[in-house]
Amino acid sequence: GLFAYLEMLEAQAHKAAVKQEEMEQQEEKLAMLKKRLQELRLQRDELRAKVELQEKGQLGKEGVTSEPAQPSAQTVLEWKIKSIKAMLQIFYLTGISGKLTKRGVCFCISTAYEGTYLDSYYLDLLTKPEVQIYRHSIPAFIPLEQIAKKYLQTDIRRFLSVLLDHLNAYVGRRFQADQLQEQFPEQIEGSLQRNSLCNLLVFKYNVSSEGKTFSLTARLLYGDLCRSLPTEAVVSCAPDSPASLAEVAAAHSDLFRRMALHKAFRSFSSAVEIME
Amino acid sequence: MDESTCQAYEDEILSLEEEIKLLAEKYEDGQQESTFFSDEEILMAVKSSQGEFEGESEGRESLSDLKAQLESLETDLSFLMKFTGIQFTSHSKKTVERTTKRTVRKHRLSGNCLSLPFQLEFQLLEVQNEGNVSAVVTDLSIVLESAEDSDVIKFVSSTEECGNLLTFFRRVLSYAEWHEHRRATFLHFK
Repeated sequence: GLFAYLEMLEAQAHKAAVKQEEMEQQEEKLAMLKKRLQELRLQRDELRAKVELQEKGQLGKEGVTSEPAQPSAQTVLEWKIKSIKAMLQIFYLTGISGKLTKRGVCFCISTAYEGTYLDSYYLDLLTKPEVQIYRHSIPAFIPLEQIAKKYLQTDIRRFLSVLLDHLNAYVGRRFQADQLQEQFPEQIEGSLQRNSLCNLLVFKYNVSSEGKTFSLTARLLYGDLCRSLPTEAVVSCAPDSPASLAEVAAAHSDLFRRMALHKAFRSFSSAVEIME
Repeated sequence: MDESTCQAYEDEILSLEEEIKLLAEKYEDGQQESTFFSDEEILMAVKSSQGEFEGESEGRESLSDLKAQLESLETDLSFLMKFTGIQFTSHSKKTVERTTKRTVRKHRLSGNCLSLPFQLEFQLLEVQNEGNVSAVVTDLSIVLESAEDSDVIKFVSSTEECGNLLTFFRRVLSYAEWHEHRRATFLHFK
């Protein structure tokens, strides 16, 4: 009776108190967030104004109000450091960049296909007592040891140049195969078969002529590891195919040997569109 | 109602923080690109001893740290130029677009490849992917002096067309070596 009633009142009061505390915490949190929001908005607006002024060229060398007319030695050095770092980054675009290390030099070899820069690899060399490769990230299927044996001791520039040629060609071949799969998925039947070095490519693709679709098989062999065009391109069709298809196959074989894989596909795809 | 307001505030805070970071980077880029200090000014700064013993304003490194950093970077740069035979004499850039994922900059670069002068202008697009940054060169324009050879002229224009900056540097080196050799031979027979 009474005891249970008192318990119930106590429980209700407790519940109410908890709820009250929750509400207060929530309000406090909201207030804090609002304050932070206003601070950030202010900061953002100030920065926006600064950037706008800068774009209008009104800041000049003196900078904003707080910066002195005569730049401090620190400002000058910070600027120079940034501009040298930018120049070192540009070296990346030339294919060979790097930095000196305590025991030698660590080179960074960059690769590109046309205007797109792709993977970069590092090569950490020791220079004493003789030039040796300490660490590297060159993939195992690149004949690094062979190239090193031939050139590393006698002509290190030649060594890097030959290595660069191998890596660029590999990356170029891989890029073309990737682009082919990406850009022409409906024309490629099944999957593109390739080895890790990407110097052997086998795939089935279809062409349409006079409303019918025919299947062709291409086998591309890149005999020169420093090139990204195949030395051999065999395009075959099924034995029961029309004679005209054999002509198409021969034309494609020629195209594959002369131009990049995805570009070759683009050229005969658009040719078909024109004919239809 | 409070829950959703809370969430809305938190979302806006995140987006503002990102915008602020971007604007600060944009401003710094702008400052860097519009400033220029001559070699004499740099030399004076290196010789200066102000702030030598205390780190100046918080967040900035002390003068001696900066000097050491500068020396190490200059050593690396001069090694690379000597080793590769590619010497950059001037470099200027202008940030054209900057978002969290993409940066587009226009570069102007002049230099020598051995004794062959060149000037390049190109646009570089850098995209932040998970784990790495990819770069694409577009609008490449090449001026290569002493390119009387029709083969070289063809090479330059086809390289410009595909934006093949890497190939340009590789080939220009061998062309410069050949050119140098030819010049030396010519002088020898004069």
